[in-house]
Amino acid sequence: MLSGKFDVQIREEDGYAVIQTEGYLNGPRGEDLAETAKNLMQKGHTKFVINLAETKLINSIGISILIEIIELLEERQGILNFCGLTPTIEHTFKLVALARHAGIFPDEDSAIAALNSP
Amino acid sequence: MQAPSADETIQRLIFGLSELDELGETIISGHGNFSVSSRTYLRMILGTLQVSGGAILLFHPNENTLTIKSSVNVADESLVIRVPPDQISGFLDHPYIDLSNPPEVLQPFFEHIHSQLQSLDARFWFPLRIRDEFLGVISLGAFFDGHEIEDWNRELLNVFANHTSIAIAYSQLMVRSRAERFRLFMLSDTATQICKSLDTEAVQEEVVAHVVSLLDANAAGLMRINPNTERLEMKSLFSLESHANTELRNLSIPLKSDENLHPALTMLAEVATQEDKTLIYNDEQNAALFGRKNLIAVPMRGREEILGVLIVADKVGRRGITLDFTVGDSTLLEAFANQAGVAIENAFLYQEALEARRLQAEMEEAEKIQRTLIPDTLAQIPGYEAFGLYQPRGGVGGDYYDCIPESDGMWGLAIADVSGKGMQAALLMATLRAGLRSEATRKTDLPAMAFTLNSLLNASGDFGKYATFFFAQLNAETNQLTSINAGHNDPMVIRSGGSCEWLKKGGVMLGIFPDDMIANMPPFEQETTQLASGDIIIFYTDGVTETTNINDELYGEARLQDTAVRLRNESAETICGAIYDEVLEFQGEAEQFDDLTLMILKKK
Repeated sequence: MLSGKFDVQIREEDGYAVIQTEGYLNGPRGEDLAETAKNLMQKGHTKFVINLAETKLINSIGISILIEIIELLEERQGILNFCGLTPTIEHTFKLVALARHAGIFPDEDSAIAALNSP
Repeated sequence: MQAPSADETIQRLIFGLSELDELGETIISGHGNFSVSSRTYLRMILGTLQVSGGAILLFHPNENTLTIKSSVNVADESLVIRVPPDQISGFLDHPYIDLSNPPEVLQPFFEHIHSQLQSLDARFWFPLRIRDEFLGVISLGAFFDGHEIEDWNRELLNVFANHTSIAIAYSQLMVRSRAERFRLFMLSDTATQICKSLDTEAVQEEVVAHVVSLLDANAAGLMRINPNTERLEMKSLFSLESHANTELRNLSIPLKSDENLHPALTMLAEVATQEDKTLIYNDEQNAALFGRKNLIAVPMRGREEILGVLIVADKVGRRGITLDFTVGDSTLLEAFANQAGVAIENAFLYQEALEARRLQAEMEEAEKIQRTLIPDTLAQIPGYEAFGLYQPRGGVGGDYYDCIPESDGMWGLAIADVSGKGMQAALLMATLRAGLRSEATRKTDLPAMAFTLNSLLNASGDFGKYATFFFAQLNAETNQLTSINAGHNDPMVIRSGGSCEWLKKGGVMLGIFPDDMIANMPPFEQETTQLASGDIIIFYTDGVTETTNINDELYGEARLQDTAVRLRNESAETICGAIYDEVLEFQGEAEQFDDLTLMILKKK
């Protein structure tokens, strides 16, 4: 049987934060993720990497919430990069124009490096 | 605070309206988002009218709640105000509400949310709407200079409210459009994904995982019809609970009506058996089935028939609020289930074809092995003629015959039939042959040899695999034949005068019982037969005597005996060929599935 266990791990580094999710990203879990991101923004973070390598499923509400996180960051002139996307999720991000406002990278290292590139 | 001059007011109005124009263009161009623009609207309203604070609240029709989208000078931004559905018309009928004197119809509501209004510091509410759709409210505090609201303030606020309503509606349209694009993409992408796999179980797991995402749900199950048991059986589950309900995982529903069955389970069975039957449960009490909040089920069709049922449960929105499954969800799920059905059927057919190819390859290998085990020609025994024939029919069986030269003028004659077909039968036969050749040359007594061969086959074969076996040792100098029959068809001795005897003595077939059980059974016995000139022995497998014709009649021992007696004066080869031809003639057009093996020994 498949299980939708969900977990969020945070890693705060000098100048950026990495949020790693695990499991199905639906509405309530998306809200948990948004809350995590907002808390980090209140602490002054404006550069984020969201690592979705362990998230193979996402629904439309999860996508909406990711867009809202991007909007919040845009207000703060922040940057968000995604990494570890499945081909389906990457395609979905491009389709709903989410990829126009956030970077998509194959792995965490390249996503972090791009946060600081001009 | 001093009231602003008319000039200042006009300047603020011009500035506010021109900003409104720009904002409108940004929203229509699709580059803005309402999170940002709602804050701009609010600042514009507060600045133009010189109001101390306020908020834009959005209405969520699925939840009947108002939540703050943007605010200035509001104590609690996480405020959630519940709006009873029967109050909505009150908001639609009043474009402006003075909270110190609200319309009579809304008074109970505002009394109920009095404390929340205080945390909003609200004095005026301007409902936001497009036609009959209630979208939210602009909530405003007091004017800086404390003056009462004037007509031109209300008119201006109505302009702002209309503009904000359009922006909200447009934003909601964008969200819906995005969700629809997402669903359509998921529908097409999932079809591609699930069709890539040709492993039935993997496809089923992909289906349940994707369908929860497609319908914004939290659980899904795929049930397949088992035509043998006539039941609907759970094959794959997706659930947010890490420990699945065992009852659900093993759910099996009879397709035929059963009075003792839960009504919802009966309806699931109907989805699997009736045309165009769909099940939607939004009533939490009924959907308590499986411990779910709500559920929807549609048939999953293959190319020609319904394969099973796809069930999706727990559609959940923001803040964990349960959302109803809609007719639109049902349409989407049906489209998805049809794709899933074809993908599962494809995978199943592919696996069947793969299995058939594997069996064919195994049969070919087994046939090669068997060909190497059966002698092309039999060793010639001095003073005797020996001739054998093996004809495979309907797959590779485990027939075996042999003539083994031993020392001191002794010859071993064997015939056996191993149970089953294919590689397993061929390997068991190879084991028997190797054991026999080893034992026969050691000249052990035949019951002891049978015991050893039984032990060997029992240890090397699966449960239920066995061999019928007949072995004889011929002393070609004394013409004495000592034999043992372990459950094989009795070879017949046709005397030169035409009489017939059967070589029956021996014991149970080999390989089926372990040593300790064999030891408690009647011991293997051997018998001795004296052969004379013109005597023949017919060794055969059940493929000869159990050959049937189109009338389902058996060829049988009597026909074999009659033919052997009639041809007893012919050579061993002639007798063998004639029996074979007669069996084939008897068989006619009837299909046969067992190999045909014959061995003839004739004393010259």
